[in-house]
Amino acid sequence: MRRAARALALACLLAATGPVAASVRIAADPRGLAADELAATAELVEAAQARLPPGFGQALGGAASLSWRDDLPERVHGRTRGMRILLRRGLLSQWMARDGGAGAHPALAALLHELAHLYDRSPAGGLSRDPRLLDLAGWTVRPLRFGLRTRHNDFRDRSPDPYELHSPAEFVAVNFEHFLLDPGYACRRPQLHAYFAGRFGWAPPHPPCAPELPFVAAGGEDALLRLAGIDPARVHAVDYLLAEPDEARPMSRWGHSMLRLVVCAPGRPRGPDCRLDLEHHLVLSFRAFVDDVQVSTWRGLTGSYPSRLFVLPLQQVVEEYTAVELRGLRSVPLRLDDTEIAGLLARAARIHWSYDGRYYFLGNNCAVETWKLLSAGMPRLPAAEVRSITPTGLLRRLARAGIADPSVLDDRERAVRLGYYFESRAAHLKEMFAVADAELGLPAADAAAWMALDPVQRAPWMAAGGLRASAALLVLEQAALRREEAAAREALKQRFLRGARGGAEAELERAGQALRALLDDPALSGRPALLLEGTGYGLPLDAERARLAATVEGQAVRLGRVQSELRGQARQLLPPEQRRRLEQAGVNLDRLGAHLRRLARDAG
Amino acid sequence: MIRSRCARLLALVLATVPAMAFAGSFSGSTAGTSVGGTSASSDSTSGDDKVVVQAREDAAGFVASNGRLRSARLEAAFRHLRERDAAAREADDMALARSILAR
Repeated sequence: MRRAARALALACLLAATGPVAASVRIAADPRGLAADELAATAELVEAAQARLPPGFGQALGGAASLSWRDDLPERVHGRTRGMRILLRRGLLSQWMARDGGAGAHPALAALLHELAHLYDRSPAGGLSRDPRLLDLAGWTVRPLRFGLRTRHNDFRDRSPDPYELHSPAEFVAVNFEHFLLDPGYACRRPQLHAYFAGRFGWAPPHPPCAPELPFVAAGGEDALLRLAGIDPARVHAVDYLLAEPDEARPMSRWGHSMLRLVVCAPGRPRGPDCRLDLEHHLVLSFRAFVDDVQVSTWRGLTGSYPSRLFVLPLQQVVEEYTAVELRGLRSVPLRLDDTEIAGLLARAARIHWSYDGRYYFLGNNCAVETWKLLSAGMPRLPAAEVRSITPTGLLRRLARAGIADPSVLDDRERAVRLGYYFESRAAHLKEMFAVADAELGLPAADAAAWMALDPVQRAPWMAAGGLRASAALLVLEQAALRREEAAAREALKQRFLRGARGGAEAELERAGQALRALLDDPALSGRPALLLEGTGYGLPLDAERARLAATVEGQAVRLGRVQSELRGQARQLLPPEQRRRLEQAGVNLDRLGAHLRRLARDAG
Repeated sequence: MIRSRCARLLALVLATVPAMAFAGSFSGSTAGTSVGGTSASSDSTSGDDKVVVQAREDAAGFVASNGRLRSARLEAAFRHLRERDAAAREADDMALARSILAR
């Protein structure tokens, strides 16, 4: 009894003489503790106090108490009851056996975690109810539910501690621990670090972060994957990129929303000139990652597809929509300041490395995902009420809120010239046909009829025209080749749907395996976190980035091989007639190209 | 069973995700990069020349339309040529478009 009283006095004394943050009063419950245990407890309390933000103690209001317990459920490190903190007894022995400094010891982490709960519940706290924190954490608002938030947090990949996903309160506590104890937190979770730093007006010292945010992007033609580091200070603008609706396709009737990062070429001063650095621009596109043959409306409605963020080169996106799908693309600048651009990119990076959501055709489609990215990236957005479930609707509302500036589209010619509008590759075929026909008298009524001819019938005209007519023919022939390719893709699809027939079984099997390799690739399927399994959390830091660079390079080579193999196999599986047309269209283009080259040289 | 699954998957990739797995087409070229010839293979073109090679189809549209049809890709190629070459700086757009077709 006397010993206990002495120990309590000692504990109080220690708590009262702590450093700056002494205002956090934590009285250790001395019952059942030996003197050395009590002393160790006092050291733990002191270590915690030394790391807490200034003003933390005042916010708590009163004194907290700390007891070591043997009766906590398995795997539970700590609990709070009112102002009482209960910690697992085993942590104390671990703490006493520690060598060296306090570091991020589990006992210290557990105590800070429970203190975070106390703070969160205090009048000054309320972090786990703060809409901003919920946005950042991943409990986002559902557009069709009158502002209600999701019950699940889909930011599962690269979590420091999966327990954070249990509830917003646990998220706050786990992240508070890391904010205080991990010098890497600022660079791994920059947005959340900024949130805590803002709330407390203070942050523990940490090494500076690399300016580039790491993204694993789809490559151009030469590599399927590449590691792209994006420095927000090199991003001139962010555009809302809308693929125009395609009435003919049920899943495209509303268009597709994406974000375009106008990244400046190395060495170019940041400014409007960067708009033409097209090969450096990247697109953030949420897509349902589909692993079934038809995009099923039912599965889309019921959330059977993963929704993931893909990072793609702009040129590839432009090609996919304007040349393959023959749809126009509107690129509408968003009025953002530098902080907002940086916030958006930090958010995109968090999504890229951690998010594995579900796609719901109505409730969580590309427009909703894009809106969530925008609103978590720029705090002023939620107030602007721009939620919309369709891509065109979202653009309209962004414009009404004064954030998007669609006036760039008013002058169509200028918009096309400066890359605010990308026309469908089929936009001028009529005019091209008229030019070629005027000079050559082509044996077809119009562009469509000309392109529908057997490529052999077009062949004689490939080296017959002058510069203008041949240039026009080039545009037409390129479009014709794309049509052949589209037809070939369709034929292959039908072929595979019917299954193996006539001895092609082995080829189908091989093609199937090659395809699996592509679809199973973590980065190609939108989950780059899987490339770095087992290490770190949040954004990858220096050492991980070096490893990542090597991994991505290796994957790109391997996937490139698989891809060309698959292309070869697909070609062999084409019906002979289709293959012939495809090859002939290629021959036509080669001849026409050579002819045009000669003409242009002579004219130049 | 496995076969039918793979077959369906392959059909899918061919049908709906050309952007990810099939960045190029299976005729061996990406539209725009090897238009009108195999001489400019993507392996041998440097990153810089790519800007110009990729504008070939747009340059053809420009020449065919007597300079009416333009595009950001084409403007980027013009700018690239002018930044790199003093003679190109003096040349007008039509001459540059022809020089792109002459490559």
